[in-house]
Amino acid sequence: MSDAPALEAVALGKRYGHKWGLQDCSIRLPVGRIAALVGPNGSGKSTLLRMVAGITTPSAGEIRVFGHSPQDQTVEVLRQIGYLDQERPLYRAFRVQEMLKFGRLLNPNWDDALARGYLTELEIPSDAKISHLSVGQQAQVALTMCLAKRPALLLLDEPVAALDPLAREGLMHVLLRSVVDDHTTVLLSSHAISDLATICDYVIILSRSRVLVADDLDYVLASHRLLLGSREQPPDVPPGVIVISTTHSERETALLVRVEVPITDPSWRVVEPTLEEIVLAYLREQQPKTPVLGQPRSGDLGRDTQ
Amino acid sequence: MIWTTWRMHRSIFLASIAIAAAFAVWLAVTGTSELNAWTIFTSHHCSIETPGVSPICMNSLSGVDRFSSVNAALCGVLPAILGLVLGAPLVAGEMQLFTNRLAWTQSITRTRWLVAKVGVGALVTVGIVGALAPLFWWWTDAAQRSIHIQPSNFDISGFVIVAYALFAFMLGVALGALIRRTGWAFAVSIPLYIGARLVVQDFLRPSFGAVSKVVDPNSGPPALAWIVRSGFVPVGRFSPAPGQAWNSYLIRMVTCQGANGVTKPAHSWKFCEALYHVRDVIQFQPENHYWALQAYESAIFLGAAIVLLGVTVAAVKRWRT
Repeated sequence: MSDAPALEAVALGKRYGHKWGLQDCSIRLPVGRIAALVGPNGSGKSTLLRMVAGITTPSAGEIRVFGHSPQDQTVEVLRQIGYLDQERPLYRAFRVQEMLKFGRLLNPNWDDALARGYLTELEIPSDAKISHLSVGQQAQVALTMCLAKRPALLLLDEPVAALDPLAREGLMHVLLRSVVDDHTTVLLSSHAISDLATICDYVIILSRSRVLVADDLDYVLASHRLLLGSREQPPDVPPGVIVISTTHSERETALLVRVEVPITDPSWRVVEPTLEEIVLAYLREQQPKTPVLGQPRSGDLGRDTQ
Repeated sequence: MIWTTWRMHRSIFLASIAIAAAFAVWLAVTGTSELNAWTIFTSHHCSIETPGVSPICMNSLSGVDRFSSVNAALCGVLPAILGLVLGAPLVAGEMQLFTNRLAWTQSITRTRWLVAKVGVGALVTVGIVGALAPLFWWWTDAAQRSIHIQPSNFDISGFVIVAYALFAFMLGVALGALIRRTGWAFAVSIPLYIGARLVVQDFLRPSFGAVSKVVDPNSGPPALAWIVRSGFVPVGRFSPAPGQAWNSYLIRMVTCQGANGVTKPAHSWKFCEALYHVRDVIQFQPENHYWALQAYESAIFLGAAIVLLGVTVAAVKRWRT
């Protein structure tokens, strides 16, 4: 089971009534990656994270966490995941130290020293009532609960949402450290793309309930180019590229394209885009026919169980 | 998980214990005054039929009556309300605040989580009502002075009240898990609880091991019994013939005897019974069936509570958003 990916989803879908919250989602996330889940509001990020955490049941497809289905709700899977819900649920009547006791009693791998260390560093008093803490402090406590569980897969829904810039940076360091020290795999959703680019090495772009991109950051960066040409007489689109988005400035036309071979056409000026530019291009001009980048290339999910 | 459950619901547990304790004190005080009033009443040879013969009799009887009916109502309502108040928020409260998402992603299965919560909650419910039961028994026995088999007494005495409370608790828990809203679970559980109690009291308790007997005007009904049904039935039978009801012969018998003043001269009881080939039969639960019926009814409600536990486990395991 050691060769099983941290997370594997095949044709995963979740329907709410007649509407799909997430559709045809296929992802294969290797162990030790920090994956960024980006997409506009309502694109299915939280739905995906909840299904991985086992608290939402898929309507279609399959999901495996280290080879096991989270839907079985077994201790085996539950021990491996650290899930931060977007609601940041905590027992509001508890004191901070009681929240930690809750974690200690319910998790065999609980790292109390780590939890206390973080809270001391964040200057959150352990005898404070949860309901008396600020929203940001509550988010920090919720996050600490996830980390002190010592999970192999961290699932963080908008972890930086309520945090100030300093705390964001602190969190990024914490995540990097746990990936390096413990080989933790991280799947986090965020709006703050620029923050993520510094630590993430895997990108999943969701839009309108569909996965558009799911692959290594390096591969995603290498397979996209920004083509700049004259606005009045735009050159022909080079063969073999897929145009993701087209934008116009006063003099220039900019195409963000997906490429497989280097572009040699001299009529275009070729620029390497940033992750932010790629993500924005996908979110701006989502073509329903754009093929997904990074479908599991050798994904045979049934292998372990059949 | 036991500590967690206690800590999570500590305030409602403590409030329930406080309310139960306050009611216990109230019942002890008013019950004692009721008991004293009885002592005066009997020591002055007063009679319930004619208490007006002396002011002492009048005063002591009103002392007996003052809190009697309100206390009986409170004794009837308290175990059910305690069960529902403790049960409804147990699962629904967490779903409402999303803390189930926190609890269900710790290293513990949902079933274990639920069993621990239900176990602690049930223990508190049984503890409170179990502690009240001897007091209720004292009050119904000494102060109320009715026979225990009568529903008004049966329902608030013995150990069946613990089963009622446990059933109410599990009803609240199960509806909370299904509806996911504490308030709605509470609101829906009240009519369901009352309905279940009425079905058992009106259809199951009367028939379980009931005794039937032919009576005549001279012998009359047994004194220490709960008369379940009575009426004229064909000779040789202890229940109405198929297609007939317990009151099928009532009007004919009354008319025959001239009790309604229509027929003159009136016929005798024996004559009318012979005329229609019927006899007067009563079906009743004698006082000495009390403990057997308590056990029977407790088993019904405990069984229902176990079924509701199964429903709750299934609802929690299959929970979706």
